[in-house]
Amino acid sequence: MPTAAVPLTELPPGALARFEEARLDPEAIRLLRALGLVESCEFRLCQSGEPYIVQVRATRIGLSRAVARSLLVVPSAPGAD
Amino acid sequence: MVPVASDPTVTGVPSTPARIALVGNPNTGKTTIFNRLCGVHAKTANFPGTTVTMRVGRSQRADGGPLQVIDLPGLYHLEGAEADEVRALLLGDAANRPPDLVVASVDAANLARNLAFVGELLAFGIPTLVCLNMSDVAERRGVRVDPVALASCLGAPVVPMVASRGIGLAALRAAIEDALEAPTRPEPPADRPVAGASPAALATWADGVAAAAQGGLPAAPTDRRTDRWDRLLTHPVSGTLVFLAVMGGLFWTLFALATVPMDLIETTFAGLGALVRQVMPAGALRDLLIDGVIGGIAGTVVFLPQIMLLFFLISLLEDTGYLARAAFVNDRLFSRFGLPGQAFVPLLTAHACAVPGIMSARLIPNRRDRLATILVLPFMSCSARLPVYVLLTSLLFAGRPALAGLVFAGAYLLGAGAAFFTAALFSRTVLRGRARPMILELPGYRWPSVTNALFTARDQGVAFLKTAGTTIFAICVVMWWLSAYPRVAPPAGVTALRAEAAAPGVTAEEAGALTARADALEARDAQARSFAGRIGRFLQPVFAPLGYDWQLTDALLTSFLAREVFVSTMSVLAGAGASGDTDEGVLARIRTMTRDDGTPVFTRATSASALVFFVLAMQCLATLAVTRRETGRLRYALIQLGYMSALAWVAALVVYQGLRLAGVQ
Repeated sequence: MPTAAVPLTELPPGALARFEEARLDPEAIRLLRALGLVESCEFRLCQSGEPYIVQVRATRIGLSRAVARSLLVVPSAPGAD
Repeated sequence: MVPVASDPTVTGVPSTPARIALVGNPNTGKTTIFNRLCGVHAKTANFPGTTVTMRVGRSQRADGGPLQVIDLPGLYHLEGAEADEVRALLLGDAANRPPDLVVASVDAANLARNLAFVGELLAFGIPTLVCLNMSDVAERRGVRVDPVALASCLGAPVVPMVASRGIGLAALRAAIEDALEAPTRPEPPADRPVAGASPAALATWADGVAAAAQGGLPAAPTDRRTDRWDRLLTHPVSGTLVFLAVMGGLFWTLFALATVPMDLIETTFAGLGALVRQVMPAGALRDLLIDGVIGGIAGTVVFLPQIMLLFFLISLLEDTGYLARAAFVNDRLFSRFGLPGQAFVPLLTAHACAVPGIMSARLIPNRRDRLATILVLPFMSCSARLPVYVLLTSLLFAGRPALAGLVFAGAYLLGAGAAFFTAALFSRTVLRGRARPMILELPGYRWPSVTNALFTARDQGVAFLKTAGTTIFAICVVMWWLSAYPRVAPPAGVTALRAEAAAPGVTAEEAGALTARADALEARDAQARSFAGRIGRFLQPVFAPLGYDWQLTDALLTSFLAREVFVSTMSVLAGAGASGDTDEGVLARIRTMTRDDGTPVFTRATSASALVFFVLAMQCLATLAVTRRETGRLRYALIQLGYMSALAWVAALVVYQGLRLAGVQ
């Protein structure tokens, strides 16, 4: 059964996940995509809280809580601290 | 085979110097490549008709001919309104010839993401050479990129480099030469992205190319040490403490080190003025030279040490990767007021001087956020306000240093409060919208490049002198003229004092005192009857509700040149000579100044009202000149002037009338 998408803020630190969708303005979505956060890409949540830090391949991206809440992701592995 | 470009420079009939543009994602070592190519032959400028700030450098071609190198701002993509101007520049428009070649700096350790940007360039048909930079970092992470395979996939030349160590520079020069010389190049691969390709399509294409060039896509590295540093530096408590320590260190360095050259500049120009006074006969030309030209140049150049040192330090900090982390520490507070987290550098710098503060707002990538920061930044109490605060708090609380200190600190808080209040207000009016929620790449931690920092400091200093500096100089001369003209005959009292000093039987000491008194009285009379003095009298009714007589109004107007001029004008009007210091003798004279009706100029209510006015008013033409330059629009300088003056007037009115109603005189 496919796992449902959840806001990034619900992932534990260290979790691996797949990026699904960003509910943000077009300019912010463009920036996220250019940084490598494109649909279905795998990433690691390095840090939660303000800021949330995700790593997509070799790129680390800092996100404010407001942005993190607007990102829908699908957890792909249990979190590991 | 397709032509590289239709420009005659490339097709063999050079009419203008060949031009290459350096582009790439931020943090790919683009600036280092630029510095390697151009050395000291560079300047910062704006593209004609745009707000894009670039560095333009000069390099040499193999045949000794000139090569113009343009370093464009770091970009993640070419889509959307914010990239419109850069895209137009790369493709060429009515105002700008397109570059003959684009050199794309690519981080070898982060190949796939960087290639998506290269894909956009290729999709637009822009002749591109790829500089595969930071190959050493990639190899340390176990990533090996085959440049030949990459070039074949891209249909564009690829040069591996380690720009920070100069490795690959000769190969880059040769590749640039080849690309500029060759009128044709191989047909691009069929799978190259097309213009307008979706980000997902670009990413898929970039993944495919990166996989082919690396023999597969490397797994994301897990860097626990970076994780730990990030936790420390972005944590609400430890992050804030580190931030305070770093900024404290930065401003201590700025104040401690910049003071030395600033004092030297002031002493040198004062000495130069004294020399001209000795060798030239008295007259209008001498006064223009000493007070107008030399004073004007000194008033401009004196900003240089702070500007250059600040940009040197900021460049070092930016290189380490720390600034991106610090932006998040501040974003929690700033975003509530419509300011971006990156605004902390400009806002803190403004405590030294608003001019470098506004210039450092270039760190903020989004235009709306940058404008919001620039517009509110002059509310921060700069060092030029210090002498005014010292004078007015001393007048308010003579002999009560604790109270004076409290009010002093209150003035700083009032300025900062006004800045945040205004930012929130502007977010709902002239600059609708909230600060963009923070999305920032966190670059890897690394040692900063002192060479890059030195080049940045030099570029910013030259840019300041060329643009804002010339305006500030012109303003200095005009303000001097308004204060020095028309020439008037000395009043009878002055003539009598001079006659007395020259009379037989008067000792040298007595004569000196009489002459000094005559000079001070003459200066007061000249100031009162000058154009500035007359404007002061004319405008006095506007400031009467704030409790100011014509003398205070005059000092207020002359301090438009720079706030600290307030003290010297008050000193002149008090008959104490043109002293910029607030020593006890000058203070006593200013404290006992009287209005035309004999009542004191400075009551408690007037002093408090003047203090509030100075905290909030835009009393600095240099700042307005820099705002005009950095925003590219006179409109924003006028908004800043109109809003701050109006707010200062209303707040000073409330304070004056409120204190009077409360029985405080």
